[in-house]
Amino acid sequence: MKENYDAELMRLVNEKNGHALEELYDRYIKLVYGFVMKFCNGNEDKTKEIIQLVFLRLWTTNSHYDPAQGSFVNWLLTITRNICIDYLRKEKRHTQHHQEEHEEIADPANAVEQRVNTNDIAMAKNKLPTAQRRLIELLYWKGYSLSEIAKLEQEPLGTVKSRLHQALKGLRKHLELEDIK
Amino acid sequence: MRRVCEQLISYIANELKESEHMAFAEHLKNCTECKKEYQELSQAWHALPFDYTETEVPESLKGEVLGFVFEHNRQSDTETFMAKMSKLAMMFKSQFTPVSTSIVTVLLLAFIGLGMANVQEKNRHPENIPIEILTEIPLKAANQSHPRTNGIAYIVQQGSEKNLVVQVHELPGVEGSQVYQVWLLKNSKRENGGIFKPDENGSGILTYQLAEGQTFDQIGITVEPDANSRQPRGKKIAGS
Repeated sequence: MKENYDAELMRLVNEKNGHALEELYDRYIKLVYGFVMKFCNGNEDKTKEIIQLVFLRLWTTNSHYDPAQGSFVNWLLTITRNICIDYLRKEKRHTQHHQEEHEEIADPANAVEQRVNTNDIAMAKNKLPTAQRRLIELLYWKGYSLSEIAKLEQEPLGTVKSRLHQALKGLRKHLELEDIK
Repeated sequence: MRRVCEQLISYIANELKESEHMAFAEHLKNCTECKKEYQELSQAWHALPFDYTETEVPESLKGEVLGFVFEHNRQSDTETFMAKMSKLAMMFKSQFTPVSTSIVTVLLLAFIGLGMANVQEKNRHPENIPIEILTEIPLKAANQSHPRTNGIAYIVQQGSEKNLVVQVHELPGVEGSQVYQVWLLKNSKRENGGIFKPDENGSGILTYQLAEGQTFDQIGITVEPDANSRQPRGKKIAGS
């Protein structure tokens, strides 16, 4: 039902219905804002710019959301993450301060995260071995590609891929356990 | 595990090239092993974004985001128009060599220039040049049965053009195909000056453009059986 409503809203947005876009904003801004804030390490200016680009993409995109392909939230967050990654890559190209960024993420499970990560996925993630957590942090939240990470960690690409495989399997296992509890 | 199955992780991380991505999506439909693995792993992958802290969204953000989108939309509309125009220009460029382009341009300009001059020429008469009455010729009844018939003829000039305007009142009515015809007399020769029909009050008016240098001595108006008379066939009703 909810997916159908979102699909209908998105159809109206494709037809350039401004009210439908506003409705989508109201429904999902909390989610998108929280996501982008995390991606930008809490930088409000960057977050605003990225969110503007996300809604511009929704407004101008020709791709239609198809409920058969999964939930609307997943679709929206995939778009959002792609825009975040594009944005960060462009920024990196401008600044070239690779080294600094690496130091920032040296310990992904820092004190602040420990305190706020109270939801299921955060708990499941914290149960993963450090190397897997770090991989997810770099890949998912920092926008590094698998081959960039391989280079960064001085490991073969195959090792990085199989680590991601293990990490996702582990996450799923922990998530299922959380559900059972 | 087949070689293509190894792409699963890159597929989930959305790192395959578009063609590879589509090929793998196709593979997923047929490979039960990958399908099962994908369902499990992508579930975890799609859970990842929820690992964030809920933050208060600034109130001002909504206006900034929607304003940005709609403003951008307006601008891109204008840009699309400009893009279309420049595309058109490019098309012309690719169709014509510089020489033929300049020839066409010159011809086009000449054409437009002449056209405008022509229009101005035409417009000048009614708009700018006053009408001047050169002569007034009173017309009297010529038939005893309608003695009250009267009228006046003017020769008016506008620029180089001369017109004869004949106005007659109290004319007897006409029947069927009958018309009144104006004749211009010059050296006892009658020349057709046009035909007219009177209104229900017996008034009629006729304008006739005089040829350059055309003069006449007298005006006669007759009632004719039809509009085809080359010489008067009917009775004279009025004249100068």
